[in-house]
Amino acid sequence: MKPGFDTTDCYTIEGKLALPYTYFAGRVGSTFITTLRDKQKIMGVKCKRCNKVFVPPRQTCERCMEDIRNNWVDLKSGGEVVNFTVVRYDDRHLPRKAPFVLGMIRLEGADSPMVHILEGVDPDQVKIGMKVKAVFSPKTTNTILDIDHFEPNV
Amino acid sequence: MTEYFGVKVTDIFDSMAERFRSEGARGVSRSFGYEIKDHGKWKLTIADGKMQLAQVDQLTGCDVTVSMDGKTFVGLNVGKVDGMEAFTSRKLTVKGDFALFGQTSRFFTKFILPGEKITQEQELLVLKRTISVNQRFATGPVMGKFLKALKEKQILAIKCPVCGRLQSPPREVCAICRVKNTEWVPIGPKGEMRMLEYCYYASPAPLTGETRETPYGAIGVLLDGCKDEEVFWHLLRPDQLNKVKMGIVLGDKVVHGTRLRPVWAEERTGSIDDIKYFEIDE
Repeated sequence: MKPGFDTTDCYTIEGKLALPYTYFAGRVGSTFITTLRDKQKIMGVKCKRCNKVFVPPRQTCERCMEDIRNNWVDLKSGGEVVNFTVVRYDDRHLPRKAPFVLGMIRLEGADSPMVHILEGVDPDQVKIGMKVKAVFSPKTTNTILDIDHFEPNV
Repeated sequence: MTEYFGVKVTDIFDSMAERFRSEGARGVSRSFGYEIKDHGKWKLTIADGKMQLAQVDQLTGCDVTVSMDGKTFVGLNVGKVDGMEAFTSRKLTVKGDFALFGQTSRFFTKFILPGEKITQEQELLVLKRTISVNQRFATGPVMGKFLKALKEKQILAIKCPVCGRLQSPPREVCAICRVKNTEWVPIGPKGEMRMLEYCYYASPAPLTGETRETPYGAIGVLLDGCKDEEVFWHLLRPDQLNKVKMGIVLGDKVVHGTRLRPVWAEERTGSIDDIKYFEIDE
Protein backbone atom coordinates (compact mmCIF):
# COMPACT_ATOMS: atom_id res chain seq x y z
CA MET A 1 0.00 0.00 0.00
CA LYS A 2 1.33 3.40 -0.95
CA PRO A 3 1.09 6.14 1.68
CA GLY A 4 -0.72 9.30 0.63
CA PHE A 5 2.34 11.54 1.00
CA ASP A 6 5.80 12.02 -0.43
CA THR A 7 8.17 9.51 1.17
CA THR A 8 11.39 10.89 -0.36
CA ASP A 9 12.62 12.13 3.01
CA CYS A 10 11.41 9.19 5.11
CA TYR A 11 14.00 6.88 6.59
CA THR A 12 14.83 5.17 9.86
CA ILE A 13 17.57 5.90 12.37
CA GLU A 14 19.11 3.09 14.38
CA GLY A 15 19.17 3.71 18.10
CA LYS A 16 20.41 1.86 21.11
CA LEU A 17 18.92 2.36 24.52
CA ALA A 18 20.98 1.45 27.54
CA LEU A 19 19.08 0.85 30.73
CA PRO A 20 21.15 0.69 33.88
CA TYR A 21 19.17 -0.99 36.63
CA THR A 22 19.49 -2.61 40.01
CA TYR A 23 17.39 -5.66 40.70
CA PHE A 24 16.92 -6.81 44.26
CA ALA A 25 15.87 -10.46 44.46
CA GLY A 26 14.32 -10.11 47.91
CA ARG A 27 14.42 -12.75 50.65
CA VAL A 28 12.35 -15.35 48.81
CA GLY A 29 14.11 -14.86 45.48
CA SER A 30 17.55 -14.89 47.13
CA THR A 31 16.84 -18.17 48.94
CA PHE A 32 15.67 -19.70 45.65
CA ILE A 33 18.84 -18.68 43.77
CA THR A 34 21.36 -19.46 46.53
CA THR A 35 19.84 -22.95 46.88
CA LEU A 36 20.13 -23.46 43.13
CA ARG A 37 23.72 -22.34 43.30
CA ASP A 38 24.92 -24.14 46.45
CA LYS A 39 22.84 -27.34 46.43
CA GLN A 40 21.84 -27.61 42.78
CA LYS A 41 18.31 -27.99 44.00
CA ILE A 42 15.12 -26.34 42.80
CA MET A 43 12.72 -25.26 45.52
CA GLY A 44 9.18 -23.96 45.36
CA VAL A 45 6.76 -22.61 47.92
CA LYS A 46 3.50 -24.33 48.79
CA CYS A 47 0.29 -22.64 49.85
CA LYS A 48 -1.08 -24.35 52.93
CA ARG A 49 -4.64 -23.44 52.06
CA CYS A 50 -4.93 -24.44 48.38
CA ASN A 51 -1.90 -26.76 48.23
CA LYS A 52 -0.59 -25.14 45.04
CA VAL A 53 3.17 -25.15 44.62
CA PHE A 54 4.75 -22.12 43.01
CA VAL A 55 8.08 -22.00 41.24
CA PRO A 56 9.71 -19.53 40.81
CA PRO A 57 8.72 -18.97 44.43
CA ARG A 58 6.63 -16.06 45.63
CA GLN A 59 5.81 -14.45 48.91
CA THR A 60 2.02 -14.59 48.67
CA CYS A 61 -0.36 -17.12 47.16
CA GLU A 62 -2.02 -15.41 44.21
CA ARG A 63 -5.33 -17.19 44.89
CA CYS A 64 -5.64 -17.25 48.68
CA MET A 65 -3.48 -14.24 49.56
CA GLU A 66 -1.80 -16.48 52.13
CA ASP A 67 1.71 -15.63 53.25
CA ILE A 68 3.65 -18.61 51.89
CA ARG A 69 7.21 -17.29 52.02
CA ASN A 70 8.53 -19.80 54.54
CA ASN A 71 6.76 -22.91 53.34
CA TRP A 72 9.48 -24.30 51.10
CA VAL A 73 9.22 -27.65 49.30
CA ASP A 74 11.91 -29.47 47.34
CA LEU A 75 11.20 -30.18 43.70
CA LYS A 76 12.70 -32.60 41.22
CA SER A 77 14.68 -31.18 38.34
CA GLY A 78 12.45 -32.89 35.79
CA GLY A 79 9.20 -31.61 34.33
CA GLU A 80 7.25 -31.12 31.16
CA VAL A 81 6.89 -28.45 28.50
CA VAL A 82 3.48 -26.80 28.79
CA ASN A 83 4.15 -24.16 26.17
CA PHE A 84 7.06 -22.71 24.21
CA THR A 85 8.18 -20.11 21.71
CA VAL A 86 11.01 -20.03 19.20
CA VAL A 87 13.16 -16.89 19.27
CA ARG A 88 14.20 -16.23 15.69
CA TYR A 89 16.14 -12.96 15.98
CA ASP A 90 19.40 -11.97 17.59
CA ASP A 91 19.78 -9.24 20.16
CA ARG A 92 22.33 -8.44 22.79
CA HIS A 93 20.03 -8.99 25.71
CA LEU A 94 19.05 -12.49 24.59
CA PRO A 95 20.81 -15.43 26.25
CA ARG A 96 21.42 -17.51 23.09
CA LYS A 97 22.00 -17.11 19.36
CA ALA A 98 18.83 -17.43 17.31
CA PRO A 99 17.06 -19.69 16.68
CA PHE A 100 16.56 -20.99 20.20
CA VAL A 101 13.61 -22.17 22.26
CA LEU A 102 12.14 -20.59 25.38
CA GLY A 103 9.93 -23.11 27.11
CA MET A 104 7.34 -22.85 29.84
CA ILE A 105 8.31 -25.79 31.99
CA ARG A 106 6.18 -27.22 34.79
CA LEU A 107 8.36 -29.15 37.17
CA GLU A 108 7.17 -32.39 38.71
CA GLY A 109 5.35 -31.47 41.90
CA ALA A 110 4.83 -27.83 40.90
CA ASP A 111 1.64 -26.13 39.77
CA SER A 112 3.05 -23.07 38.04
CA PRO A 113 5.35 -23.17 35.02
CA MET A 114 8.71 -21.40 34.84
CA VAL A 115 10.33 -19.98 31.72
CA HIS A 116 13.73 -21.24 30.70
CA ILE A 117 15.93 -22.08 27.73
CA LEU A 118 15.34 -25.41 26.06
CA GLU A 119 18.30 -27.05 24.36
CA GLY A 120 19.22 -30.37 22.79
CA VAL A 121 16.16 -30.42 20.58
CA ASP A 122 15.53 -28.93 17.14
CA PRO A 123 13.20 -25.90 17.48
CA ASP A 124 10.82 -27.52 14.99
CA GLN A 125 10.69 -30.75 17.00
CA VAL A 126 9.60 -29.26 20.34
CA LYS A 127 6.24 -30.60 21.45
CA ILE A 128 3.92 -29.58 24.27
CA GLY A 129 4.00 -32.37 26.85
CA MET A 130 7.67 -33.19 26.22
CA LYS A 131 9.57 -34.45 29.28
CA VAL A 132 12.57 -32.28 30.12
CA LYS A 133 15.10 -31.90 32.91
CA ALA A 134 17.26 -29.10 34.28
CA VAL A 135 20.99 -28.92 33.55
CA PHE A 136 22.84 -26.89 36.15
CA SER A 137 25.53 -24.44 35.15
CA PRO A 138 29.09 -25.21 36.28
CA LYS A 139 29.67 -21.49 36.81
CA THR A 140 27.47 -19.33 38.98
CA THR A 141 26.11 -15.95 37.99
CA ASN A 142 23.80 -15.63 41.03
CA THR A 143 20.85 -15.59 38.65
CA ILE A 144 18.26 -18.01 37.32
CA LEU A 145 20.95 -18.95 34.79
CA ASP A 146 22.54 -21.08 37.51
CA ILE A 147 20.23 -23.52 35.79
CA ASP A 148 22.03 -23.39 32.45
CA HIS A 149 19.14 -24.80 30.42
CA PHE A 150 16.60 -27.62 30.20
CA GLU A 151 17.02 -30.57 27.86
CA PRO A 152 14.89 -33.57 26.82
CA ASN A 153 14.71 -36.21 29.55
CA VAL A 154 15.20 -39.55 27.78
CA MET B 1 23.08 5.28 87.27
CA THR B 2 19.74 5.60 85.56
CA GLU B 3 18.88 3.08 82.91
CA TYR B 4 16.81 3.80 79.85
CA PHE B 5 15.42 0.87 77.83
CA GLY B 6 17.65 -1.26 80.11
CA VAL B 7 20.81 0.55 79.06
CA LYS B 8 22.96 3.17 80.79
CA VAL B 9 24.32 6.23 78.99
CA THR B 10 27.82 5.07 79.87
CA ASP B 11 27.16 1.66 78.26
CA ILE B 12 26.84 3.41 74.93
CA PHE B 13 29.98 5.50 75.34
CA ASP B 14 32.02 2.63 76.84
CA SER B 15 31.24 0.37 73.88
CA MET B 16 32.14 2.98 71.24
CA ALA B 17 35.76 1.87 70.90
CA GLU B 18 34.60 -1.71 70.34
CA ARG B 19 31.97 -0.69 67.84
CA PHE B 20 34.25 1.67 65.91
CA ARG B 21 34.48 1.00 62.16
CA SER B 22 37.70 2.50 60.82
CA GLU B 23 36.53 1.91 57.23
CA GLY B 24 33.49 4.09 57.91
CA ALA B 25 35.66 6.89 59.27
CA ARG B 26 38.21 6.86 56.47
CA GLY B 27 39.29 10.35 55.46
CA VAL B 28 37.43 12.00 58.34
CA SER B 29 39.33 14.27 60.67
CA ARG B 30 36.83 15.96 62.96
CA SER B 31 35.72 16.23 66.56
CA PHE B 32 32.25 15.74 67.97
CA GLY B 33 30.82 16.90 71.27
CA TYR B 34 28.08 15.11 73.21
CA GLU B 35 26.32 16.96 75.98
CA ILE B 36 24.00 14.58 77.82
CA LYS B 37 21.84 16.39 80.36
CA ASP B 38 22.49 15.25 83.96
CA HIS B 39 25.09 12.73 82.74
CA GLY B 40 28.04 14.70 81.45
CA LYS B 41 29.98 15.75 78.39
CA TRP B 42 32.00 13.59 76.04
CA LYS B 43 34.32 14.57 73.24
CA LEU B 44 34.88 12.20 70.35
CA THR B 45 37.83 12.85 68.08
CA ILE B 46 38.23 11.06 64.78
CA ALA B 47 41.44 11.23 62.76
CA ASP B 48 43.54 8.87 60.60
CA GLY B 49 40.90 6.14 60.86
CA LYS B 50 41.19 6.11 64.66
CA MET B 51 38.94 7.37 67.41
CA GLN B 52 39.47 8.87 70.80
CA LEU B 53 36.77 9.39 73.37
CA ALA B 54 37.08 11.33 76.59
CA GLN B 55 34.67 12.53 79.23
CA VAL B 56 35.39 16.22 79.68
CA ASP B 57 34.32 19.10 81.86
CA GLN B 58 34.13 21.59 79.04
CA LEU B 59 33.46 20.98 75.35
CA THR B 60 35.79 23.12 73.32
CA GLY B 61 36.97 23.00 69.73
CA CYS B 62 34.28 20.61 68.50
CA ASP B 63 33.14 20.81 64.87
CA VAL B 64 29.66 19.89 65.99
CA THR B 65 28.04 19.52 69.39
CA VAL B 66 24.77 17.74 70.11
CA SER B 67 22.76 18.17 73.28
CA MET B 68 19.99 15.93 74.56
CA ASP B 69 18.79 14.10 77.64
CA GLY B 70 19.85 10.58 78.60
CA LYS B 71 16.63 8.93 77.45
CA THR B 72 16.88 10.45 73.97
CA PHE B 73 20.54 9.53 73.65
CA VAL B 74 20.05 5.89 74.64
CA GLY B 75 16.81 5.68 72.65
CA LEU B 76 18.55 6.85 69.50
CA ASN B 77 21.30 4.28 69.93
CA VAL B 78 19.03 1.33 70.58
CA GLY B 79 16.53 2.30 67.90
CA LYS B 80 13.69 3.31 70.24
CA VAL B 81 13.72 7.02 69.40
CA ASP B 82 13.42 8.46 65.90
CA GLY B 83 16.24 10.91 65.20
CA MET B 84 14.26 13.27 63.00
CA GLU B 85 11.41 13.37 65.49
CA ALA B 86 13.80 14.11 68.36
CA PHE B 87 15.31 16.92 66.33
CA THR B 88 12.04 18.55 65.25
CA SER B 89 10.64 18.36 68.77
CA ARG B 90 13.89 19.95 69.99
CA LYS B 91 14.71 17.07 72.31
CA LEU B 92 17.95 17.01 70.41
CA THR B 93 19.78 20.18 69.45
CA VAL B 94 22.78 20.53 67.19
CA LYS B 95 25.34 23.29 67.28
CA GLY B 96 27.78 23.50 64.36
CA ASP B 97 27.98 21.39 61.24
CA PHE B 98 24.65 19.55 61.10
CA ALA B 99 25.57 17.44 58.05
CA LEU B 100 28.68 16.26 59.86
CA PHE B 101 26.60 15.05 62.78
CA GLY B 102 24.58 12.95 60.32
CA GLN B 103 27.77 11.10 59.37
CA THR B 104 28.45 9.74 62.84
CA SER B 105 26.28 6.64 62.32
CA ARG B 106 28.81 5.50 59.68
CA PHE B 107 31.60 5.34 62.26
CA PHE B 108 30.07 2.70 64.52
CA THR B 109 28.30 -0.61 64.31
CA LYS B 110 24.91 -0.88 65.96
CA PHE B 111 24.71 -1.03 69.72
CA ILE B 112 23.48 -4.48 70.70
CA LEU B 113 21.07 -4.62 73.64
CA PRO B 114 22.11 -6.96 76.45
CA GLY B 115 20.61 -10.39 75.81
CA GLU B 116 19.73 -9.46 72.22
CA LYS B 117 20.44 -12.34 69.87
CA ILE B 118 22.65 -11.69 66.89
CA THR B 119 21.34 -13.79 64.05
CA GLN B 120 23.19 -14.56 60.88
CA GLU B 121 21.51 -12.61 58.10
CA GLN B 122 20.68 -14.60 54.99
CA GLU B 123 22.55 -13.79 51.80
CA LEU B 124 20.52 -11.33 49.76
CA LEU B 125 21.13 -11.00 46.06
CA VAL B 126 21.33 -7.77 44.15
CA LEU B 127 21.91 -7.66 40.44
CA LYS B 128 23.37 -4.60 38.75
CA ARG B 129 23.20 -4.63 34.98
CA THR B 130 22.93 -2.40 32.00
CA ILE B 131 20.77 -3.87 29.30
CA SER B 132 20.95 -2.59 25.79
CA VAL B 133 17.85 -2.45 23.64
CA ASN B 134 18.11 -1.88 19.92
CA GLN B 135 15.54 0.42 18.46
CA ARG B 136 14.66 2.20 15.26
CA PHE B 137 13.16 5.64 14.88
CA ALA B 138 11.10 6.38 11.78
CA THR B 139 11.65 9.98 10.74
CA GLY B 140 8.50 10.54 8.71
CA PRO B 141 8.61 13.08 5.87
CA VAL B 142 8.99 16.24 7.98
CA MET B 143 11.65 15.23 10.52
CA GLY B 144 13.37 13.37 7.68
CA LYS B 145 13.76 16.51 5.61
CA PHE B 146 15.17 18.37 8.61
CA LEU B 147 17.68 15.63 9.46
CA LYS B 148 18.77 15.20 5.84
CA ALA B 149 19.57 18.93 5.74
CA LEU B 150 21.85 18.55 8.77
CA LYS B 151 23.93 16.20 6.64
CA GLU B 152 24.52 19.22 4.32
CA LYS B 153 25.34 21.45 7.34
CA GLN B 154 22.06 23.27 7.06
CA ILE B 155 19.51 23.84 9.82
CA LEU B 156 15.90 24.06 8.61
CA ALA B 157 12.81 25.30 10.36
CA ILE B 158 9.20 24.85 9.31
CA LYS B 159 6.89 27.86 9.22
CA CYS B 160 3.25 28.09 10.22
CA PRO B 161 1.21 29.62 7.35
CA VAL B 162 -1.15 31.32 9.85
CA CYS B 163 0.93 32.71 12.75
CA GLY B 164 4.27 32.58 10.98
CA ARG B 165 6.16 31.00 13.87
CA LEU B 166 9.16 28.81 13.14
CA GLN B 167 9.65 25.35 14.60
CA SER B 168 12.94 23.53 14.61
CA PRO B 169 13.09 20.58 14.97
CA PRO B 170 10.00 20.77 12.79
CA ARG B 171 6.51 19.49 13.53
CA GLU B 172 4.01 18.56 10.85
CA VAL B 173 1.43 20.92 12.29
CA CYS B 174 1.37 24.17 14.22
CA ALA B 175 -0.27 23.03 17.42
CA ILE B 176 -1.40 26.57 18.28
CA CYS B 177 -3.17 27.31 14.98
CA ARG B 178 -4.00 23.66 14.22
CA VAL B 179 -2.93 23.90 10.61
CA LYS B 180 -0.45 21.94 8.55
CA ASN B 181 2.96 23.58 8.26
CA THR B 182 4.10 23.98 4.68
CA GLU B 183 6.98 26.40 4.14
CA TRP B 184 10.61 25.54 4.92
CA VAL B 185 13.08 28.24 5.98
CA PRO B 186 16.84 27.89 6.54
CA ILE B 187 17.88 29.32 9.94
CA GLY B 188 21.21 29.99 11.68
CA PRO B 189 23.46 28.13 11.71
CA LYS B 190 24.89 30.64 14.20
CA GLY B 191 22.91 32.17 16.99
CA GLU B 192 22.92 33.41 20.54
CA MET B 193 22.63 31.69 23.86
CA ARG B 194 19.20 31.95 25.42
CA MET B 195 18.85 29.19 27.95
CA LEU B 196 21.27 26.96 29.79
CA GLU B 197 20.42 23.96 31.87
CA TYR B 198 23.12 22.42 33.99
CA CYS B 199 22.50 18.69 33.89
CA TYR B 200 23.94 16.79 36.83
CA TYR B 201 22.13 13.54 36.12
CA ALA B 202 22.56 12.12 32.65
CA SER B 203 20.14 9.54 31.39
CA PRO B 204 21.51 7.40 28.56
CA ALA B 205 21.38 9.00 25.11
CA PRO B 206 18.77 7.08 23.08
CA LEU B 207 20.86 6.91 19.91
CA THR B 208 24.17 5.69 21.33
CA GLY B 209 23.18 4.19 24.67
CA GLU B 210 26.07 6.06 26.23
CA THR B 211 25.73 8.10 29.36
CA ARG B 212 27.17 11.58 29.01
CA GLU B 213 29.77 13.03 31.33
CA THR B 214 28.18 15.32 33.91
CA PRO B 215 27.68 18.13 34.38
CA TYR B 216 26.80 18.99 30.83
CA GLY B 217 24.90 21.92 29.41
CA ALA B 218 21.65 21.55 27.53
CA ILE B 219 21.15 24.85 25.78
CA GLY B 220 18.48 26.78 23.94
CA VAL B 221 20.07 28.73 21.09
CA LEU B 222 18.18 31.51 19.36
CA LEU B 223 19.42 30.89 15.84
CA ASP B 224 19.71 33.82 13.43
CA GLY B 225 16.38 34.38 11.72
CA CYS B 226 14.39 33.25 14.77
CA LYS B 227 12.66 35.31 17.43
CA ASP B 228 11.07 35.05 20.88
CA GLU B 229 10.61 31.45 21.93
CA GLU B 230 11.91 29.91 18.72
CA VAL B 231 14.98 28.44 20.37
CA PHE B 232 16.83 25.39 19.15
CA TRP B 233 17.83 22.85 21.79
CA HIS B 234 21.19 21.14 21.67
CA LEU B 235 24.35 20.65 23.72
CA LEU B 236 27.09 23.05 24.72
CA ARG B 237 30.79 22.23 24.31
CA PRO B 238 31.50 20.66 27.72
CA ASP B 239 34.55 22.79 28.61
CA GLN B 240 32.66 26.02 27.88
CA LEU B 241 29.96 25.42 30.46
CA ASN B 242 31.10 28.27 32.66
CA LYS B 243 32.10 30.64 29.88
CA VAL B 244 28.74 31.47 28.37
CA LYS B 245 26.12 34.07 29.25
CA MET B 246 22.41 33.76 28.72
CA GLY B 247 20.53 36.41 26.79
CA ILE B 248 17.17 37.69 27.96
CA VAL B 249 14.39 39.97 26.80
CA LEU B 250 12.52 41.95 29.48
CA GLY B 251 10.02 44.32 27.91
CA ASP B 252 12.06 46.71 25.75
CA LYS B 253 15.32 45.70 27.36
CA VAL B 254 17.35 43.17 25.39
CA VAL B 255 20.46 41.56 26.82
CA HIS B 256 22.28 39.58 24.19
CA GLY B 257 23.67 36.18 25.08
CA THR B 258 26.99 34.69 24.00
CA ARG B 259 27.26 34.12 20.23
CA LEU B 260 27.44 30.41 19.40
CA ARG B 261 28.12 28.32 16.32
CA PRO B 262 27.48 24.65 15.64
CA VAL B 263 30.35 22.18 15.49
CA TRP B 264 29.54 19.64 12.81
CA ALA B 265 30.46 15.97 13.01
CA GLU B 266 33.02 14.77 10.46
CA GLU B 267 30.81 11.95 9.34
CA ARG B 268 27.21 13.02 9.08
CA THR B 269 24.46 10.45 8.76
CA GLY B 270 21.32 12.53 8.90
CA SER B 271 20.79 12.42 12.65
CA ILE B 272 20.62 15.06 15.39
CA ASP B 273 24.17 13.99 16.34
CA ASP B 274 25.39 15.50 13.05
CA ILE B 275 25.80 18.59 15.21
CA LYS B 276 28.24 17.57 17.93
CA TYR B 277 27.47 20.61 20.05
CA PHE B 278 27.51 24.39 19.95
CA GLU B 279 30.61 26.37 20.88
CA ILE B 280 31.46 30.03 21.45
CA ASP B 281 31.74 31.87 18.11
CA GLU B 282 34.95 33.85 18.49
